[in-house]
Amino acid sequence: MIDIQDLAKAFALGKNSKLSDTEKQDVRYSKEAFHSVRNVSFSCGAGEVLGLLGPNGAGKTTTLRMLSTALKPDAGSVLLNGVDVLKQPVKARQQIGFLSADTGLYGKLTAFENIAYFGRLHGMKEDALKQRIDELFTLLNMHDFANRRADNMSTGMKQKTAIARAVVHSPKVVILDEPTTGLDIMTVQTVLDFIKGLKAAGTPVIFSTHHLDEVASLCDRVVVIDKGISAFSGDIGQFRALTDNGDLRDAFLSVLNSATNQQGAA
Amino acid sequence: MWQVYLKELTELMRDKKTLIFVILLPIFIFPVIFGVMGLVLSSTTNTAMQAEHRYVIINAEQAPKFADALFYHKNFKQVKTDKTSEADLVAAIRNDEFDVAIVIPADFSAKRQAVEQSQWQIIYNQSSQFDFMYRYFAEVLGNFNEQLQRDTLMQLNVDPANLAAIIKPVDVQKVDTAAKRENIGEKFGAVIAYILIPLCLLGASYPAIDMGAGEKERGTLETLLICPISRVSIVLGKFFTVLTTGLVGALITVGSFGIWGAIIGSFAGMAVVQEAMSAIAITELILIFSLLLPISAVFAALLLAISIYARTFKEAQNYISPLSIMIFLPLVAAMMPGVELTTKTALVPIMNVALAIKELIKGTADYGLLALIFGSTLVLASVAIGFCVHWFQQEKVLFR
Repeated sequence: MIDIQDLAKAFALGKNSKLSDTEKQDVRYSKEAFHSVRNVSFSCGAGEVLGLLGPNGAGKTTTLRMLSTALKPDAGSVLLNGVDVLKQPVKARQQIGFLSADTGLYGKLTAFENIAYFGRLHGMKEDALKQRIDELFTLLNMHDFANRRADNMSTGMKQKTAIARAVVHSPKVVILDEPTTGLDIMTVQTVLDFIKGLKAAGTPVIFSTHHLDEVASLCDRVVVIDKGISAFSGDIGQFRALTDNGDLRDAFLSVLNSATNQQGAA
Repeated sequence: MWQVYLKELTELMRDKKTLIFVILLPIFIFPVIFGVMGLVLSSTTNTAMQAEHRYVIINAEQAPKFADALFYHKNFKQVKTDKTSEADLVAAIRNDEFDVAIVIPADFSAKRQAVEQSQWQIIYNQSSQFDFMYRYFAEVLGNFNEQLQRDTLMQLNVDPANLAAIIKPVDVQKVDTAAKRENIGEKFGAVIAYILIPLCLLGASYPAIDMGAGEKERGTLETLLICPISRVSIVLGKFFTVLTTGLVGALITVGSFGIWGAIIGSFAGMAVVQEAMSAIAITELILIFSLLLPISAVFAALLLAISIYARTFKEAQNYISPLSIMIFLPLVAAMMPGVELTTKTALVPIMNVALAIKELIKGTADYGLLALIFGSTLVLASVAIGFCVHWFQQEKVLFR
């Protein structure tokens, strides 16, 4: 169970940084700071998959980075199974698995070593670690390249290794930042199957994406972020109901339009 | 922290570039330097000393004894010319017809008779680095002058027993207190520091770039940051890895310096190197290494801070190049003539270590100052590490 309330994050701007014309039109820019995320709230229960949608630069990655404790929010709260992420970041980190499309591996280390390194950083004991890695290798069909260095792997192998690395410590929640962007079809399928597996195991998954077909086939809940504000948060049925024909693309656009209109009115 | 350290070290050991910079370069740079130093120095001096100078002598008949002495000198070879004017002689020397012209005035013997001073001329190119020719000429002329003085005094009926005291009333005997080692250390000690210190930086820079900017570029940094270990542990783990490679580089460098110095010194004709090396004991090598230790820590912390700030490998390299140039400034300052190790210079970072290495090689090190240098560099290192740790907790540095 993840519960996020009124999250906000601003990045200070350099004194001499000049804003482009498009940036000047963005309401989030002030003289001193860029308010990347202004007010984001949503929640995701056990076994639910939450899709985070939004245009480029809307604040999705910043939101996910705050969830994963990489960034500290300026305001708001993140509760992870009752643990306050902001107050106990180290405890929260033990429960989080994180992966993005450009998450890399250490090229000089083998698949096993890459995964084991993160397992050890998560404080896993050697026996438990070996057993868990063996489990994951079987699950993801990775035994063939367990001892191959990441530099010599195909993209698919790398992504499988990255997935195994993200869940080696059996996280209570998995956060994925555009996990399929830039990957080939086969590799995308590996990622999607992995999300389905997590869902079946009752692990909540939050992932950001630009692919509405992924949302349609996987998500129970949808959140749309626009200009740093969660403009829509609800289940997939409510999202479809935003338009008469139930088309996700139209629903997405209508959320963005009404958000812009509201801001214009304000 | 040690998890991070072990993993970084494993990765580095599997990397060929690290091996080249940290191990091969220090091993092979010294034989080259010693070889060049010994060969070039001894051979150029020898050639200059043994060179034969072609000369012309105008009005030789005015001073036949001098002309003969010059004629039989092994470094002079007479050539014939019909030129007599100064301008013609200068032109001929420029045209490489001969190397030197000695012009004796036509009225020389007449002036001798009247006991008057005579003005001779020697025309040659004075830009040469080793002016052995003039030294030989002066020697021959000195003897000639002395002979003339003796002749004149004899004519004046001076007692021959007093001649030596009249011609040269004061004779000076030079007693050198500098050991040969001090002399050589003064010349080459700074050069050794000039090589050792940048090698420490070089050995540490590639791993540092790989561990900061490299981690950002590969997209592994974010995953590392959300592991349940503190950022201080991550930085320290990385810092110790960089420090280790810097020190392994320095250790290999110092070791290779000692070993190759001894090997090359044992070759015939490399007496210069042998003399310099024979006096340097293991204690001094250990002291040199222990001075390199804190300065390597400073380098490691600075490099890591730069590397974490940079977004990509290339960006990090761009920032590190000016840093390496900055490091050469104090090193060059330490090589300037007259710059000595004092309480003041002992507090100038990098320069103090360079000067101390020079003193150690000369064998004249003041242990109090060495302790001061070690202490001050250690303080600098802890400040640098502190900054690096602080830097690593800044979001604006990590997510640029």
